[in-house]
Amino acid sequence: MKLMMKSAWNFSRGLSLLGLLLLVMALPAQAAQGPLSQLEQSVNQILEILRNDDVQGDERREQLSDLIRQRFDFKTMAQYVLGPQWRKTSLADKDQFTKLFSDLLEASYIGKIEAYTDEEVTFAKEQIEGRKAKVGTLILTGTTEIPIDYRLVSNNDAWLVYDVIIEGVSLVRTYRDNYREIVRKKGMAELLVRMEDKLAEIRQDDTAG
Amino acid sequence: MNLHPPPGLTHFISILLTICLLGLAPSVILAQDQLTAPPSQSDQSSLEDDYLWDDEEELIIFDPIEPFNRAMFWFNDKLYFYLLKPVARVYRIVPEPARESVSKAFSNLGTPVRFVNATLQLKLKEAGTELGRFVINSTIGILGLFDPARGMGLKKHEEDFGQTLGHYGAGPGFYLVIPVFGPSNLRDGVGRIADSLVDPITSPYYLELKQLEEIGLKTYDQVNDLSIDKDTYEGIKRDALDPYLFVRSAYMQHRAAKVEE
Repeated sequence: MKLMMKSAWNFSRGLSLLGLLLLVMALPAQAAQGPLSQLEQSVNQILEILRNDDVQGDERREQLSDLIRQRFDFKTMAQYVLGPQWRKTSLADKDQFTKLFSDLLEASYIGKIEAYTDEEVTFAKEQIEGRKAKVGTLILTGTTEIPIDYRLVSNNDAWLVYDVIIEGVSLVRTYRDNYREIVRKKGMAELLVRMEDKLAEIRQDDTAG
Repeated sequence: MNLHPPPGLTHFISILLTICLLGLAPSVILAQDQLTAPPSQSDQSSLEDDYLWDDEEELIIFDPIEPFNRAMFWFNDKLYFYLLKPVARVYRIVPEPARESVSKAFSNLGTPVRFVNATLQLKLKEAGTELGRFVINSTIGILGLFDPARGMGLKKHEEDFGQTLGHYGAGPGFYLVIPVFGPSNLRDGVGRIADSLVDPITSPYYLELKQLEEIGLKTYDQVNDLSIDKDTYEGIKRDALDPYLFVRSAYMQHRAAKVEE
């Protein structure tokens, strides 16, 4: 399936590199409360946990999860993913969707944080515009470079990530395209069921090794 | 893996090109989040949404031949899991640095395609960089096995004819999954044919490798890349609710961003 698709596949390679970015990002310290430095701070805390061999398994994952949930604005992400459907959804379903969506993202990517170590980040910049900011990073692998951008929004002094863009591919938009189609064809209830099934499947796969 | 064009193919290409350039298949409709409801219905959260994404263009994907595409996706999936991936896995006994060198050498052979397309887009600095990279990496870099040019600040720029067409305003056309080759769209599919005429491995105009050699080399290139890849596709299969939709969206976004560059 991949014949001659090298560059097109870098983006998805980048998806797996999402975790690694959190791992190895060595960003220069900047103004104390800027989005870049706040992101960096989270990264350092994550590094600390990963380097601490005393904490393993579920306990480690829980600590990582807490840190990630502090830095990512899952609610904003979930809302955008659902798009116009959000308003038509009952409060209970909104809550359930947001919870399932955060759990799914976490289940998909937290394992990858632990798996990638050997690449390095060569470049980072930040761009602030009102309450929004973009932090740009570049990951250097053995054969190529993968640009990864973070979009953040400030919320009472805290800068929270609401999208990750890898080689021009927005994580949130990819989920949005995916989910919107399912809602359109099968309805909201079916989407929630499929998300639950998928979550169970990924977790099973994780425990199976 | 494109074969020498049979008579009439050039004709076919030019027809496709015309279709593409005329924009008869407009799949990217740039609408400012046209799917959100009018402001009267907006609550606080949708205003936040509009603010956060107001500089983004909505990318609408056009997939009129979805049943065909899904069939091809299924076929490629089987090809991947039953043939290419097992071979790549065995091939992983070759040390990674060697495999990375092979990947660089193939990439070096891709210079003509990148050079021609950078030139066509009048990105002359990029074209010059590609030329410089080729000279340095083919000599000091021993036939492209190493990439000393990168260390000298000459970075590779991926360019292909699909991007060239996009650069001059051609929309992507409908989404297209090509058997063996994977995700594409009308514009990039045409671009792929055009690029195969320039690519030294497949070009009928120079080197003139035998068909079997072409297929062998292209397959080797891919298997080698797969051996370096960290199971990306497996990850997508595992994590996505519908892998077909996931790949489709990611591919279209990626290509739109490439054209934008």
